[in-house]
Amino acid sequence: MLPFEAGLTVTLGLRDSKVTDVAIVSTRLVQASRLLAGRDPVQVTTLLPTLYALCGTAQALAGAAAVEDALGLLPSPLQRMARRFLLLLEILTEHSFSILRDWPALLDESPDLSPARLLRPLVHNARRSLYPDGDWARPGGGRLEVDAVALGMILPPLKALLAHIFAGSVDQIVDSPSLFDTWCEHGDGLPARLLRRVRQSGLGGFGAAASHFMPAEGPADVGERLAADDGGRYLARPDYHGRVLETGSLSRQHAHPLVAGLLAQYGSGLLPRFAARMAEIAAALQEAEDLVQDLSAEAVPPPSPGGSGIGLGRVDAARGLLIHGVTLKEGRVSTYKILAPTEWNFHPAGPLAAGLTGARDDDGLIWRARLLAAALDPCVACRFEVAQYA
Amino acid sequence: MCLALPARVTEILPDESAKVELGGVSKVVSLALVSDVAVGDYVIVHVGYALSRIDPEEAAKTLALFAEIEQMTPEPAA
Repeated sequence: MLPFEAGLTVTLGLRDSKVTDVAIVSTRLVQASRLLAGRDPVQVTTLLPTLYALCGTAQALAGAAAVEDALGLLPSPLQRMARRFLLLLEILTEHSFSILRDWPALLDESPDLSPARLLRPLVHNARRSLYPDGDWARPGGGRLEVDAVALGMILPPLKALLAHIFAGSVDQIVDSPSLFDTWCEHGDGLPARLLRRVRQSGLGGFGAAASHFMPAEGPADVGERLAADDGGRYLARPDYHGRVLETGSLSRQHAHPLVAGLLAQYGSGLLPRFAARMAEIAAALQEAEDLVQDLSAEAVPPPSPGGSGIGLGRVDAARGLLIHGVTLKEGRVSTYKILAPTEWNFHPAGPLAAGLTGARDDDGLIWRARLLAAALDPCVACRFEVAQYA
Repeated sequence: MCLALPARVTEILPDESAKVELGGVSKVVSLALVSDVAVGDYVIVHVGYALSRIDPEEAAKTLALFAEIEQMTPEPAA
């Protein structure tokens, strides 16, 4: 029987009052995408958002991009803009959801999830407002028909929710180190209280370790590694020349002025990580607001031809770089592989493990570990245990 | 990655929660994110929360797809 809910179990091995090793066991089914083999690629992009509980937009768009790469299709600029808007919307809703759901527990508070109820309907409504036939992830592009009224109702409630979550305008908060400092020190709202606690506990640099950020295009060898990965070991524990890369907000936002300053001060610890999440939210909201002005209708592109080929689709999803690899033979999917960001960030030699190794064993160890996990934001539940060595 | 397994609601409980069942396994999940859920509905569960309600036909299709995974060779230990 399939596990009801997959998850990660992280065991912190303790010796001489320090974490000396970090074992991470996953029950996630990284090869579930094998069930897509034998299917029509258009059907695959329709199925993808229903197979995964989170990031359905990113999954489907990575699938579309992989099929387009395999077949040499190039979606039009308007199709790319509409897809980008849907992806940004998902990034914003995923971050909002994980903050509302996961961060209260880090302050021993109960979550108030009532504001989060609007998030999934917003994603659904945005897809319908652009692609009334539901073919928003069709390889080559779907029937783009903008419902301006419905589209105009997507961003305002999301912007209001973000203002509620951060008790202020997130783009202004991350605009300068001094505004960020003031907000951390005096701001209302859950994120400000959490970061205030992190700072007051002297944990701004907790979890810092040598960082190997994911390149924008992904690992240079990902195509060959996916093709050679018959047993699924690369999908479960990926590496690039033996090195485990980090992907996600910090990797993408490390050059943001606020984040870069915090990185210089703290290394890749909690404070720069949480600030990077906020910088990413601010950037995504700004880009979505700019894009929504320019979205317009487009005639239905011709149907995607059948054919053969090998393709990769790369999408910057909320939690990091999502890569799909497809092999098509005569219009059918022959192999289908998905490499998700959690496999990098929660790799036994990845940033979570590196950040926890050497941590002091005291009453707050599990709380600090949970903070670091929340900053890295896994797509499944993450449970911590300790093992005391003699 | 987080598979979207549909679970059937078997009992509505107090405090915005419900008992759900999947493949003979029961658990209690929060209904804080969904509205108007009734016994017999199918919901997608993630980290103890029902994320969304899906119609029975869609649930049946998804469950049939996931049943195929069970017929496949086991995943590598990770």
